[in-house]
Amino acid sequence: MRTTTLALTGLALLAAGCGTTAPAPASRPTQAATLTVWADDSRAKPLRDLAAAFEKDRGVQVKIVQKGMGSLRDDFVSQAPTGQGPDLIVGPHDWLGKLVQNGVVAPVDLGTTAAAFPKVALDAMRYEGQTYGLPYAIESVALLRNTALAPERPRTFGDLVATGQRLVRDGKADFPVGLPVDPKAGSPYHLYPLQTSFGSSVFDGGELAIDDKGGLEFAAYLRGLAKAKVVSTSLSGEIATNAFREGRVPYLITGPWDAPALAKAGVAFSVEPVPPAGDRPARPFVGVQGFYVSAKSANPILANDFLLNYLATPASQRALHAAGGRPPAMTSVREELRGDLVMTGFAKAALAGEPAPSVPAMDAVWGDWGLSQLAIITGDGDPAKLTGDAAGRIRAKIAD
Amino acid sequence: MARWFSRYGWRHAVGAAAVVVALFPLLFVLAASVNPSGTLTGSNNLFAAPTPAHYQALFTDPLHPFGKWFANSMVIGLTTAAGSVFLGACAAYAFSRFSFRGRRAGLLGLVFVQLFPQLLAYVAIFLLLSALKDVFPAIGLGSRLGLVMVYLGGALGVNTYLMKGFFDTVPKELDESAQIDGASHAQIFFRVLLPLVAPILVVVGLFAFVATLNDFVIAGLVLTDPDQQTLAVGLHQLVSYKLGQNWGLFAAGALIGALPVLVLFQFLQRFIVGGLTSGAVKS
Amino acid sequence: MSRFVKPVVLGVVDAFAVYGLVALAGQRSWWLFAAMLAGTVAINVIYLGKRRVPAKYLAPGVILLLIYQVYVVLYTGYAAFTNYGDGHNGTKQDAVAAILAASEVRVPGSAAQPVRVVERGGELGLQVGGQVGSVARPLGPVAESDGWRALPYAEIVARQAEITALRVPVPGQGSLRTSDAVTAAMYRSTLRYDERAGTVTDPATGAVYRDDGRGRFAAADGTVLSPGWKVFVGLENFRTVLTDPGIRGPFLGVLVWTFAFAGLSVGLMFVLGLGLALVLDRPGLRGHRIYRSLLVLPYAFPAFMAAILWQGLLNPDHGFVNAVLLGGGQVPWLTDPWLARLSVLAVNIWIGFPYLFLVCTGALQVIPPALTEAAQLDGASPWRVLRHIKLPMLLAATTPVLVATFAFNFNNFNVIYMLTGGGPRDATSPVDVGSTDLLISLVYKLAFGGSARNYGLACAVSILIFAVIAAISLAGFRRARRLEAN
Repeated sequence: MRTTTLALTGLALLAAGCGTTAPAPASRPTQAATLTVWADDSRAKPLRDLAAAFEKDRGVQVKIVQKGMGSLRDDFVSQAPTGQGPDLIVGPHDWLGKLVQNGVVAPVDLGTTAAAFPKVALDAMRYEGQTYGLPYAIESVALLRNTALAPERPRTFGDLVATGQRLVRDGKADFPVGLPVDPKAGSPYHLYPLQTSFGSSVFDGGELAIDDKGGLEFAAYLRGLAKAKVVSTSLSGEIATNAFREGRVPYLITGPWDAPALAKAGVAFSVEPVPPAGDRPARPFVGVQGFYVSAKSANPILANDFLLNYLATPASQRALHAAGGRPPAMTSVREELRGDLVMTGFAKAALAGEPAPSVPAMDAVWGDWGLSQLAIITGDGDPAKLTGDAAGRIRAKIAD
Repeated sequence: MARWFSRYGWRHAVGAAAVVVALFPLLFVLAASVNPSGTLTGSNNLFAAPTPAHYQALFTDPLHPFGKWFANSMVIGLTTAAGSVFLGACAAYAFSRFSFRGRRAGLLGLVFVQLFPQLLAYVAIFLLLSALKDVFPAIGLGSRLGLVMVYLGGALGVNTYLMKGFFDTVPKELDESAQIDGASHAQIFFRVLLPLVAPILVVVGLFAFVATLNDFVIAGLVLTDPDQQTLAVGLHQLVSYKLGQNWGLFAAGALIGALPVLVLFQFLQRFIVGGLTSGAVKS
Repeated sequence: MSRFVKPVVLGVVDAFAVYGLVALAGQRSWWLFAAMLAGTVAINVIYLGKRRVPAKYLAPGVILLLIYQVYVVLYTGYAAFTNYGDGHNGTKQDAVAAILAASEVRVPGSAAQPVRVVERGGELGLQVGGQVGSVARPLGPVAESDGWRALPYAEIVARQAEITALRVPVPGQGSLRTSDAVTAAMYRSTLRYDERAGTVTDPATGAVYRDDGRGRFAAADGTVLSPGWKVFVGLENFRTVLTDPGIRGPFLGVLVWTFAFAGLSVGLMFVLGLGLALVLDRPGLRGHRIYRSLLVLPYAFPAFMAAILWQGLLNPDHGFVNAVLLGGGQVPWLTDPWLARLSVLAVNIWIGFPYLFLVCTGALQVIPPALTEAAQLDGASPWRVLRHIKLPMLLAATTPVLVATFAFNFNNFNVIYMLTGGGPRDATSPVDVGSTDLLISLVYKLAFGGSARNYGLACAVSILIFAVIAAISLAGFRRARRLEAN
């Protein structure tokens, strides 16, 4: 009995105490506006500095949320519709298809700023005729050459393989070239320059084209490389990079993300576009990093203001480059780096490439395309048939 | 000597073999953590040029507030472990000592809820916590307490079943004699039963602690501010982007993160194995 | 002292409940309000009464279970009947907004102009040079005294959504809009939304897009506008699961392997865990603490990392296992179908055996030594003591853990996905399925491997898988109960 009384008294007291302060959420006083940005840790730090200026000028708060790259896009897609998502996100342009398909990204008007960027960067930020993002970095794979082991720049991929094989025979290298292959997913991204040098591309006028004439020639060429033990499924990116760092392989195909660590390791190397294997130019996939505004942002003005008037400036683009090591997209900033041969080499390779397709179907394309390459490399059937089968499966998935 | 071997020696041999199998892969993690390039798979030449750089970087880089992550993990892990043990033990007591309608079905139900494939838990939990945030910000999105509550939602379940089995091994006569001495059900629970089943409480607590420490999926969803994040979330971020994997830092962080489990286990072992408490059951 | 604990705790809980009820009423969330009220009443009834003792011990855990776990199950059940997934991600309202936003294009050749956001009597307008316009008032010249006032930045921030939605008509050209309140430009929309008819029209082609009942705007010729929105689709997802050749074809093989994987994992982990527990459970064994502590380490390590680590160790050319242990062998651990199965099983056991080792160590402690001592006095061999006394008791105590471990491994997506991705792939199969694929990873590929992630479908399959596991587990429990009874 006493318990009951005590409990009721306690309840009454506490309820009274809370009742007076219980907020009605609808009438909560408007707090200072907060702009939320999602970024991975390679960009969170420079963004924090850039945001400080915006906070000071505009009297608002900017919250930089650090998210893992692996979950950022999908979290954004599922969280934006609830209104709990961020106002801005940073990421590669090939997310755009998914973002537009789900209606979570808002168009932006770059206005006169657009003239400061190369065409490949602007193309990448466009989807179905509308522009959705502000580019800040362009990246693609390039050929890194250990200048001590291989002083001559190879004109073709065949030259490169011959030099590499000679160095292996002489005991100066462990394998001819570090061409990373993911043992689960294949390597369509790293192999793409070779594929395009046979005149094949992933899409041709909106149609899947990996099994066109050039594509089949490339498949046969890839089988040849595997037979000659130039390409192998056991050569992961990590093993390849490590061997290059230790001077045990003359060439490495990789992107600017590995460059800072390699430069620190003390190997002398040059960066140049991947040489062609066929008789056409080799064009790598270009990834363009950019900023996107949420379609459900509660702060559309702040988001666009920050984007267009703070992030689209040479100073900001320079700061983002300095922190992330990716070649800057803004032409004027890129030209300031003329003395940096590594960055210039990567930028040159990227400018010669084509944006990786951003259509939502790419998720399906990467999977089957890569698996067919794995099967070709391990000799699991006829290269042409494997390529054709994969293309058929991808077409079926796209049609779904 | 032969007698020593037949009694202890072969046990040492088996134990040592098992330890080697359990630890040799972790040796690679140790190697990666002191390797300047932070490689995890490439080289078999372990410990070529050991450097403490990754460990130093962990505690000095403002981008990775490792100390805070560590503290968060400990607070969240220990709170969750204590809460799980308490809630689970309460339920196990009810299932073991009282008969009520739906007892058997309830017990089975607890296990079955946990068998459900949680493919979509991620999205569902997000929606739930973002709704909670509007009503109770303290347990909504972005709150460490909210995360603990999510973990405690799984406190009942197979662990309750496990604990109930232990409660069942304690003779009912013990409660009855305590009852005759005038003890209430709460006193019997806290003073008579809990000390007797301490080994299983410790085991369940350790499971909860380890599971909490290793979770990066739900924790990464709920905690967004770098200062709030846990070790697993922060470490997973370091390697989640394929093209920029930071294995050295990751390996160093994972090793330090495993230390508390090791220490805690050292400390708790006497409760799990032998010692005073199980002696009481025997008498 | 303890007399006060209950009323204080209950008082605090009730106070929070009242706070929550007020907040929910403020948001007019009446369903949640009712649920919370019912919960609060139930708590008070349970704890204020003298009877219902078991409920007093069950309530806290069960309430949390209902909120956080049962809710997930219910949500999955709900999503299984929708088309939730890529392209059907939000509400119809959001979809319309996104479609219209994407259809707005800059008028060619029109330059961006500096703009000021102005206001008069609550009405917002845009000022460009000497001209002002609002929604109702096309852009035109104004006199100084017209009463338009430039909005300070703080007010702009407070009315952001209104300002970006503002379209000031410019006769004969399009409409002026601003997205950053600093510059404005001329836009023209290529699509129009008719709210009353619920249709989207393209004035240029005359095409009319209607809600096709499947969460999309579709024209008569079948062209569809993107994005769509989330709607109920009835049993469609279940129908797809049962008829899709992508799941029916490889289903049997994958099901058998899933059972084998889960069963062997549990069995071997148990044998290993129990064996080690027995070996180290010997009074007077020196160093047993150190052994135990070290054996727990694989379990203390993040599992996702363990899988990646093993992938490196098992690399055919450069991995430690081949290169060092096998002296340069070329065993294709992860690319040969049977070796890959062996590898995932071995790695999974490496990750999981410490868990069962701990459970068995704990369980061994409660077997009364009197029982084993009596048997030993009767001359029973250690093996018979183990077989007839310890093992039955251990099995009875650990059955729920074994069932849960089985279910966990039945759905052990992470280890498979990280280690082999389900591969090596069956190159002859038209379907994307590999030798180590479990049901759950097959579901993942089916629902998320295509051009659009389909959550609704994934939920439907999850529910079917759950039905299978639940049936098997129930049978397992029946058996265990018989064991217990013997």
